[in-house]
Amino acid sequence: MSTEPGTAGTQTQHVPVPRTPELVMATRAGRAAAAVVRISDRGARIAVVTIALVWHLAIGLPAVLAARSQLAAPQVVVGAWLLVAALGGLAGAWLLRDAALPALPLAALLLAVDVAVFAAAGRSQLFGPANWVWGGLAWFFVVVLWRRPVHWLFALLAAHACTGVAAVVLYGATEAPDLARAIMALYATSSLPAAVFAGGATLTALSRDRAATAATTNAMVAEREAAEQARRDRRERLALVSAAAGEVLTELAQGRADPADPQVQRRCTHAAARLRRLIAESDDVPHPLLHELRAAADLAERNGLPIELVTIGTPPPLPVQVRRSLTDPLIAVLADARDWARLTVVSSSDEVVVALVTPDAAGPEANAPPAGDGDGRVEHRYERDGKIRWTQTRWHR
Amino acid sequence: MDADSLAQVKPERPVGVAIVDDHPVVIDGVRAWLATEPRLTVLATGDDPDEVLRADPAADVILLDLRLHGRTVLDKLAELSAAGRRVVVYSEHSDPQTMLAALDAGAVAFLAKHEGREHCVATVLDAAADRPYVAPALAGAMVGDSRPDRPVLSDKEREALLLWFQSMSKASVARRMRISEHTVKQYVDRARIKYSRVGRPAATKAALLARAIEDGLIRPEEIGIYRSHAATDWPTP
Repeated sequence: MSTEPGTAGTQTQHVPVPRTPELVMATRAGRAAAAVVRISDRGARIAVVTIALVWHLAIGLPAVLAARSQLAAPQVVVGAWLLVAALGGLAGAWLLRDAALPALPLAALLLAVDVAVFAAAGRSQLFGPANWVWGGLAWFFVVVLWRRPVHWLFALLAAHACTGVAAVVLYGATEAPDLARAIMALYATSSLPAAVFAGGATLTALSRDRAATAATTNAMVAEREAAEQARRDRRERLALVSAAAGEVLTELAQGRADPADPQVQRRCTHAAARLRRLIAESDDVPHPLLHELRAAADLAERNGLPIELVTIGTPPPLPVQVRRSLTDPLIAVLADARDWARLTVVSSSDEVVVALVTPDAAGPEANAPPAGDGDGRVEHRYERDGKIRWTQTRWHR
Repeated sequence: MDADSLAQVKPERPVGVAIVDDHPVVIDGVRAWLATEPRLTVLATGDDPDEVLRADPAADVILLDLRLHGRTVLDKLAELSAAGRRVVVYSEHSDPQTMLAALDAGAVAFLAKHEGREHCVATVLDAAADRPYVAPALAGAMVGDSRPDRPVLSDKEREALLLWFQSMSKASVARRMRISEHTVKQYVDRARIKYSRVGRPAATKAALLARAIEDGLIRPEEIGIYRSHAATDWPTP
């Protein structure tokens, strides 16, 4: 006799699942570290944006306006100031809202401004405060390159220095005092932004490491506690099961129980099945799926059903709805199983197959289990062939 | 049980079996199982493989408990297999690692102790003829094998192993896969033969391979360049 599968459902909606416990731990640690980094360098970002804009407004603007008439091309200098003010404001707002800046185009624009202002300032204002790019521009470099590698900033500062030196040479300001002024100006205006930038990067890296270490440690502590809990549970269950097995063995040894008595045979079968299941539990921390199946097996057994549970391999972490789709149909069939039941779980990193086989008692098509409820890639089969009822759920990555 | 393979065992002389276990009650139990089959005769028993074989060197098949006096005797198993002794391991330690380690060491078959009653006779008869016999627990271990050097099984072989492990009924597997029971056994046996290429070489593994070729279970050209051919299915009539 052969019957068609009672129900067979295949769902294809994908549920993203972390691959291994190590990866889950690493992902969690990574997320925690990223959050810490975001929070911890917020202060530094506010400081950098504030310094850049305040310097630009309070030192650069008055100097430009006061010396406007002495500039070779005042429109260019003022226009560049306005452009950088707008750009700095935008970039600052962006940075404070945690968005990534298009660093390279912005850096290129700042360098173009650098060259234009040096050219438009003229010889008389080359070292004057109206040539605002000497001092103010480096802070904008820091803003647009925030969180980039520190050598990007050094490269940009070097380009800035080259522009300055080229201007000095081209304007013919090669007297010793002029050169000294140029070097002083470059050193004074570059060192502080570079220090702030490097300091910020170092602090960020340190806090990221610390956060990752803390998250990993927490995960390990949680894992150890779960393992100890599992061990305590098993010891308690072993004590119970051993007591039950010892009792029936003692009665047999003393001749108070008759090996031919079906009741005694049943007690032996139960005790053996429970001991075997307990021995088969080799995982330190029970996977939630195995935990649920063991609980279902224990329940069925308390209702008088000798049940075997064999697991092979370790299931990957599974979302709760996938676990439910895997276990629910089997638990429904288990509820009216008679005589015996065999529950098997075969797992690999990208497949979990759970099957329940029970004898196919004659009778109506009772309790064909419901198909999965459409949450995850769990395939469900149920068939009976007159000898056995076979329920299988299978999850594929 | 698989009558087709049993029928081919030579009827002239019964298969001699030695039982090595450190629990007399288990020896008596196994002896009782084997006594139901006239083609089998128990020649010697004891708790030390060397002594048992000294007592009767002619044993065709050795039933070996993998744990003797608190010690796992995988090394002894390898030594016996290398010497061409057909060893059927039976053990209450039916975790996949132990089973696969026993196959690697050259065991012809592995029986979990709770499978003994149902599969013991068939396993010993097949072992005597250098044919594989895969009981459900071993099928589970093979299908769950995730070691990097595991043999490459075809989809059909994997599915047959998985369903055999789940249901313990080849008839049900055959109905489920819509193939004959004979073909189910072929898929399962072919997967087992592929395992004779894993681990250290042993005379017993070579014998399994030779018999599998003789029976047409596997092609000779598949042996040398194993992996490239292993994934293809070639259904037999």
